[in-house]
Amino acid sequence: MRTALILLLLLALASAAGSLIPQFPNSPERVAQFLSTHSVLGEVYRRAGLFDVFGTWWFGFITALLFTSLIACLLPRSRAHLRAIRQRPVHARELDALPLHREMLVAAPPEVAARTAARVLRRRRFRVATEGASVAAEKGALREAGSLIFHWAFVLLLVGVIVGKGTGYSGRAAIVEGQTWTDARLNYDATRLRLGRYFDGDFSGLGLRLIDYRDAFDPETALPLYFESELELLDASGAPVGTAVASVNHPVAFEQLRVYQYGFGWAPVVSAAKDGQVLADGPVLMSQQTAPEGRSQLAQTWHGFVKLPQVRPEVDMAVELELWPDGRGFLFEGMPMFDANAPLIRYQVWEGRLLDPSKASLDTRFMRVVRGGFLWEGSTVDLDRACIAAGPAATVTAQAGCPGGVEPSLTLTFDSLPHYSVLQVGKDIGVPVVLAAAILIVVGLLAALYTSRRKLWVRAEPAGEGSRLIVGGLALQRRSQFQTEFDRTVDALVAASGGSVREAVAAP
Amino acid sequence: MSTDELARWSRDLFTVALFVYIAAMLASFAFVAFRRRSMARLSTVLGVVGLTANVVSIVLRAAAAGRTPWGNMYEYSSMLAAMAVAAYLIGVEWRSKIRTLGGFAYAFVVFSMAMAVLFFYVGPQDLLPALNSYWRQIHVTSMITATSVLGLGCVFTILFLIKERSERRQVSMLAQQDPPPIMGGAIDADAPPDFAPGADEPVLGPSVRRGVLPASGVLDHLAYRFIALGFPIWTFGTICGAIWAQGAWGRYWGWDPKETWSFITWTIFAGYLHARATAGWRGRRAAVIALVGFGSLFVTYYAVNLWIASIHSYAT
Ligand code: HEM
Repeated sequence: MRTALILLLLLALASAAGSLIPQFPNSPERVAQFLSTHSVLGEVYRRAGLFDVFGTWWFGFITALLFTSLIACLLPRSRAHLRAIRQRPVHARELDALPLHREMLVAAPPEVAARTAARVLRRRRFRVATEGASVAAEKGALREAGSLIFHWAFVLLLVGVIVGKGTGYSGRAAIVEGQTWTDARLNYDATRLRLGRYFDGDFSGLGLRLIDYRDAFDPETALPLYFESELELLDASGAPVGTAVASVNHPVAFEQLRVYQYGFGWAPVVSAAKDGQVLADGPVLMSQQTAPEGRSQLAQTWHGFVKLPQVRPEVDMAVELELWPDGRGFLFEGMPMFDANAPLIRYQVWEGRLLDPSKASLDTRFMRVVRGGFLWEGSTVDLDRACIAAGPAATVTAQAGCPGGVEPSLTLTFDSLPHYSVLQVGKDIGVPVVLAAAILIVVGLLAALYTSRRKLWVRAEPAGEGSRLIVGGLALQRRSQFQTEFDRTVDALVAASGGSVREAVAAP
Repeated sequence: MSTDELARWSRDLFTVALFVYIAAMLASFAFVAFRRRSMARLSTVLGVVGLTANVVSIVLRAAAAGRTPWGNMYEYSSMLAAMAVAAYLIGVEWRSKIRTLGGFAYAFVVFSMAMAVLFFYVGPQDLLPALNSYWRQIHVTSMITATSVLGLGCVFTILFLIKERSERRQVSMLAQQDPPPIMGGAIDADAPPDFAPGADEPVLGPSVRRGVLPASGVLDHLAYRFIALGFPIWTFGTICGAIWAQGAWGRYWGWDPKETWSFITWTIFAGYLHARATAGWRGRRAAVIALVGFGSLFVTYYAVNLWIASIHSYAT
């Protein structure tokens, strides 16, 4: 017990450290920031595993010790309890030494009174043993059983967690409307993919096609009312097997996969061409910065890049895109942009050397901005001269059309603006086990805290025509509550034996 | 009535409840100081009045917001206060017939409401869809109920520690007199004063001198009763939170700061319950663990929302 107590408190202490120090699995950015500002302390923390407290060996070690001690004590306790509930209640001798004690005279003869008492007690759900005119009764095995269930449920919980997390995986998938995503390692956002320790690398190969992404916002508060993704489910061979809608709080279960609506974004379809030859074509998954206090997240613009390596000999190019899904947001600073409505892109052309092949960021150390301009949905710009080559001209921005005569060489076209949906996809077969354990924990805890073991003895001795009924009682817990139950039970005993002739000795 | 009017009424009633609770607190302290029965009765009446205003304020707030009224810290605090007062009136005044503790219980309530007024007032507003779930409602209700009940338990623990200390001092003072005045036997000054082997039941030892507070055994028992009630509710609430998180984010547990702190609090109170069943840890040591749990409760309730970024913190 003392061991369990100390280990529990140790676990609390370790967890406190885990919440005060930034944790790598939750917020890698904050860990990086911490490391850059605290060089010595950061190194100490890193060595001690304090940036991933819940994944360190010593956290696991404390847990393992706790569970070892738990099982080591549960086994004998369970065995003892099983034996105890099969045993008959033990008869007692000195009933008048018990905390609760009453004696009275009843009309029935001793044998009959004892048999009646046994019957009454059985009806009150006592376990009863009769021996001549003496009855021993006991009730409340649930307390110990509850405690045992409660503690065993922790073992079950641990098994559910280890098996579920260990053999499973989870990650995030970003799917553009109309596109199909397949459950395979490379299709996940690599920074968020978490593989179980015992996961055999066998992704399901199931497919999800995003038919439509929908959302709605409160027009006054700009708070989201719902997000949902309508999905077509494809089996491992790519054949459609049905459709489903994933929304917040309503995940889709697809074989062993669970699909959760996590987030959304805009993915303008942009194509770049040089002399009629396509260099890049497809949706660009745009990201957004967190809005500062007091500004709606929907007022924030979206950012992305189109990278064009070796667009000319020795020159790499990157086009940085900033998107206003609702063109009015450009004019009215801070206006929440709910839907696509005359979307506008501001672009900047960078030239130099591309160091970072990632689609989400740009390393500008060897690059410089050479020109920039604006672009509406459906228009094409000449990237060399930053003028509108075809399609609607961006009048609000005073962007001029290209002067005639020169055929543009390098162009960028903004074709359409679909959404993309971010889905959290994962497999965890332990969830039902964990849930069952959680239910057992609550049920067991209530039984262990709110029931009590009580014992009651009745002895009937001959007294004149009838008998003297001696009743003693003992509660191992919750004594004050037992007082009332004891009195009621005794009254019932007396009534069943023909009523009290008189109370022989008052309870002290 | 319009939404704005409802919100204003709700806010005014909240203020009324706060001042009535302050009056109830003062009346109760006056009862302790002057031992006038009428003061105790006044305190009870004020408590009931304040609770009524508090509950009506919560209901109006719900009507104003068009949803269940637990979406941010202001609403949590209002609910916490109502739960704590109800738990105190039922558990202490009515069931245990103890009337000297009201001042301390109301002080806890007044503190929580004052924090809400000073730091957390926000108008009724909508919730994010991720917050919009059946499990969330149960989760939040349970956590607030558990916080209020555990908080009161901890208040009684503090009083227990104070009382137990003064009792020990008295016992050792008496033990130095010769011959020992009580029951003719030696007094073991080191033994914890009032504990029976059953651990959850006090046996009142020979009360040396009645002071302002109930005997330490009574206080300890009361604290245990509240914690033993709050703990399963906390457990249940945490589990509902995990079920909610599983539905909303696809993971039932992610060591997010709020989750971590509710785990820490849970572990500490589990430690308290173990300590009460462990020889040599009953009484003072167990009480100290509960006190640490109080601190942890405070961090879980306030600090995480205010200072530690978390997936839950959009609830502030
Ligand atoms: C949270 C509420 C908990 C309560 C109310 C509780 C209650 C108890 C009680 C009353 C005992 C004593 C049984 C006896 O003396 O025979 C006990 C023993 C024990 N508990 Fe818990 N427990 C809780 C949580 C846990 C947890 C989470 C663990 C570990 C995972 C744990 C591990 C142990 C161990 C190792 C023992 C020692 C068994 C023995 O010596 O009989 N307990 N617990």
